[in-house]
Amino acid sequence: MKVDGYEIPEGLYYSREHEWVKVEGDRCRVGITDYAQATLHDIVYVELPKIGSRVSQMQQLGTVESVKAVSEIYSPISGEVLEVNEELSKHPELVNESPYERGWIAIIKPSSLEADLRNLMDPRGYSEFLRALLKK
Amino acid sequence: MLRRTAVYEYHREFGRLTEFSGFEMPLWYSGIISECLAVRSAVGLFDVSHMGRILIRGRDAEAFLNRVTTNDVQALKPSKSHYSLLCNPNGGIKDDVILYKLDSDRFMMIVNAANREKDLSWLLENSKGFDVSISDISEGVALFAVQGPRAREALQRIAQGPDLRGIPRFCFVRAEIGGLGCLISATGYTGEDGLEVFVPSSERGPSALEIWRGILNAGSEFGIKPCGLGSRDVLRLEAGLCLYGNDIDEGTNPLEAGLAFAVKMGKGDFIGRAALEAISRDGPRRARVGIVLEDEGIPRRGFEILRGGERIGEVTSGTYSPILKRGIAMGYVGAGSAAIGDPIEVSIRGRRARGSISGFPLVKCYWGSEAARRDEEARRAGFAYRGVAFP
Repeated sequence: MKVDGYEIPEGLYYSREHEWVKVEGDRCRVGITDYAQATLHDIVYVELPKIGSRVSQMQQLGTVESVKAVSEIYSPISGEVLEVNEELSKHPELVNESPYERGWIAIIKPSSLEADLRNLMDPRGYSEFLRALLKK
Repeated sequence: MLRRTAVYEYHREFGRLTEFSGFEMPLWYSGIISECLAVRSAVGLFDVSHMGRILIRGRDAEAFLNRVTTNDVQALKPSKSHYSLLCNPNGGIKDDVILYKLDSDRFMMIVNAANREKDLSWLLENSKGFDVSISDISEGVALFAVQGPRAREALQRIAQGPDLRGIPRFCFVRAEIGGLGCLISATGYTGEDGLEVFVPSSERGPSALEIWRGILNAGSEFGIKPCGLGSRDVLRLEAGLCLYGNDIDEGTNPLEAGLAFAVKMGKGDFIGRAALEAISRDGPRRARVGIVLEDEGIPRRGFEILRGGERIGEVTSGTYSPILKRGIAMGYVGAGSAAIGDPIEVSIRGRRARGSISGFPLVKCYWGSEAARRDEEARRAGFAYRGVAFP
């Protein structure tokens, strides 16, 4: 699905702060959306969370910084950080180039997945949310 | 309602727009980093028509300008420009400008977009007793900056008349583009070699938009890129150039800002002179410095500069340098608190990023020995300092 040129892949869940979650068995992969990376543009630093740290839903997970602005990444789900995308330390531009694949931010072991997912949007919901946002 | 320039149509189609000083301007087209690199390695094209263009004419034009600006207007030859400042009586900077001497009694002043109205009324207020006429010609003249090592070659492809390679820095010529008489000046805000093109609007000649597209076509073989305000800000910071409203304002004086080269105490009285003399006598209380970080992070406006854990100053503008691949900044530190090369830290959201004090420019760029050599060549080839009919 696409809204105004921004990719919104099927099978993911989306937050109002433009993060995505992909459920992979008992783990969740998270990142920022195509719209988020395009708005920031030219990302030059990504501050990753610490492995083993615990995050609550919509709490700060890290930051992404572009030439023009710095933006917080909020964790779309609660849980424990199992892995982080170390490649982003050397190649932060991967978030711009491939926000849903090579530009993922972290893998989290969810602690309350079902409840958390109810607070997120499906692709259709996010595309409507984005459409409304872009109209403003 | 935001103001638009003559090439707004292009910006809207290809750029990401932003508001700047009341204008709707492009922040970037292809991306800030790629645009910066195009300017440093090839050529970039900027629309800078938001800046103000003020024409000052009359028998007393020179005497008047010598009174309201800090640089020595008497030393300026026709077809040459210089960087100068408008100061208030306290020595605070009202604006930084480029003053072009078109002829013995005609000058053009390029002022910052945000200061257009303020400067115009300041000039009018202080013109009593001088035989001058002052008019804002911004609306009738578009201004484009063609910047980068291939800028002169690119523009030469569509400009008839003089050899553009022969224009020394800060000098200008009249050339025709599509039959339209334009002013082409070896000035810019990137630290790179480059030209600025003043395009008057005329019913007979090509429009500013046609000339904009013409420059892009002419530069395509050199890899020209349209560039927005985002890359303009990065490039000027790399070059160590001030942005009015960030690095200088009415609360800063030219001496602490490191702009003493544009203040000529020997030229006679001018507005702000007495105050600047006193500051010069006592020594400025702070100094504008450059900063290059070693650690990750981008210093932003308002961040603290620390030395040995003590706060010594504050960042006034900062960004990421695509050339150095590091955070860079400029800011003010207390006089004597740090020298070039000294280690400092910048407090970035609670973290302390290590770096050091640097001189300007922060990035090696054209405006050094290479530019001086080219200027000398142009002078030897006999650049003619004569009056230029414009607009």
